[in-house]
Amino acid sequence: MAESDRDSVKRLILTLTVIGAFGSLFLAFVFTWTNPHILEHEARAREEAIMTVLPDAATYEEEVRNDQTFYIGYDENENRAGVALTVIQGGYQGMIEVMVGVDPNREEIIYISILDHEETPGLGARITEESFKENFRNKPIDDYELVNRTPEEPYEVEGIAGATISAETVKEIVMEAGSIALEHFGGGS
Amino acid sequence: MIEFEHLLLLFIATVLVNNFVLIRFLGICPFLGVSRHVDTAFSMGLATTFVMTMTAFIVYFVNTYILVALNLEFLRYMAFIIVIASLVQLVEMFIRYASPVLYKALGIYLPLITTNCAIMGMALMIPLEGYNFIESLVFGFGAGVGFTIAIVLIAGLREKLEFGDVPESLQGVPITLILAGIMALAFMGFAGMITV
Amino acid sequence: MKNLLAIFRNGLWAENPIFKLIIGLCPTLAVTNTVENGLAMGLATSFVLISSEIVISIIKKWIPNDVRIPSFILVIVTFVTFTDYFLAAFFPQISDQLALFVPLIVVNCLILGRQEAFASKNPTHRAIFDAVGMGVGFTWVLVVLSLIRELLGMGTIFGVEVFGAAYPEMIVMILPSGAFLTLGVMVGVINVIDKKVGSDND
Repeated sequence: MAESDRDSVKRLILTLTVIGAFGSLFLAFVFTWTNPHILEHEARAREEAIMTVLPDAATYEEEVRNDQTFYIGYDENENRAGVALTVIQGGYQGMIEVMVGVDPNREEIIYISILDHEETPGLGARITEESFKENFRNKPIDDYELVNRTPEEPYEVEGIAGATISAETVKEIVMEAGSIALEHFGGGS
Repeated sequence: MIEFEHLLLLFIATVLVNNFVLIRFLGICPFLGVSRHVDTAFSMGLATTFVMTMTAFIVYFVNTYILVALNLEFLRYMAFIIVIASLVQLVEMFIRYASPVLYKALGIYLPLITTNCAIMGMALMIPLEGYNFIESLVFGFGAGVGFTIAIVLIAGLREKLEFGDVPESLQGVPITLILAGIMALAFMGFAGMITV
Repeated sequence: MKNLLAIFRNGLWAENPIFKLIIGLCPTLAVTNTVENGLAMGLATSFVLISSEIVISIIKKWIPNDVRIPSFILVIVTFVTFTDYFLAAFFPQISDQLALFVPLIVVNCLILGRQEAFASKNPTHRAIFDAVGMGVGFTWVLVVLSLIRELLGMGTIFGVEVFGAAYPEMIVMILPSGAFLTLGVMVGVINVIDKKVGSDND
């Protein structure tokens, strides 16, 4: 390599290392400052979701069984008030993450909360609307079917016009959550 | 064979269903800038696909064995952009040596591959979606192919437009954007075809 | 002072990043689905632009010429990382909605372009005016674009219903196609305005 080329490379490495070092140091501070807030938001969002899907619970405890995290709710008399878990599945635009509250004793879905999604606003995003989520309030666990009218049978779920895939995904997520919960907590354990 | 099927679906999803340019809005600057002629567009696409695939390759290792392992995730953007900038530098040197004609044709758009948001966007999605090594490679390659298809398609349309009667105010960028809007509508037809 | 104001005004129209320089288009199309997102993105980008131009106009004499582009990039990425973590910590909803496009500010050619064209060749006080002008120029186009898209697409501004619940939403406006079409028409309209003003001045 010619002399100037070698100097050029040296200059490149030196300049970038200096700038990089200053930058990294600065960012380390930024990270230490902001990370607690970020974690707090996540924790609060999760707690809100758990309380929404387990309305009878006063407190909850986290438990891991078979690599699956469960949030077991307890009411004021320290009786179990349902089990919550999150399930993620691919929707129309991206992953949909749902927190599902299950009552293993009565083999029912208590309620659901949509944690994260990237569905189309005005269409798939309507899975977050109360009118859709109500489909799953106190619903017996079963193989569900999406219908385009008011449900007549307990296994029917009313879909969303123009958002079949998003609604279908949520339906499958709820079915999966129900079966996982029953598998680990069913049979009056 | 389930692994192969999964990878194939991932590839098709990345190229068509979630096309980087027309659905994800990434790579718009080169999309508008290098799309006047089909052959330049195709070369740009190839160069970008190469950089993307190599980026996916390196980024996976950097992320898994350096950033996550050493708890340095806050340096992710810095690390990734350094990887991309270095790769583009290498590709630039190679093209300059291998085909001076192509080098001249691509001009300033070659170093500008570094600022192609499609590459950085693709790189960032790898830790986000938690792809493993093979998935990352397929994803990076698919992103490049999707980008190439989009840019070649619009170049083809623009070449035809040269003979058309476009009102002066719409010439160049505006008509290209409008065309892209219609193309995006068409690509939406792939939506929901595959959910990965 | 007049000179500084001219620098500022430059970014608003004559050298507007989006419809004149045609750079920074990815976020322009992607996050203008609501006014809240468009405004937030404009402000975030402006912040990175201003901080980078300030720092680079200060350290420019220590940066050897042949390594300037990578150096600029490192400075920019530092501020982008800061912005991303700051938003995630204190404005989590906006951070969620802007998602990937905050880190993508790194590759917004507007920011790199201004370092090269201006900050590396001008004293700090002039660089500040350039950055603010470009930032405002970028932001106002984003806001107008998102006003059109949110209003026509969902009948709301900042989530507030404007036309009432019976409004037939033009969903296409919020989708990728709507973004391309709106921007294309907007640039076309601006070209027409420019030509008119030009011929009036002749």
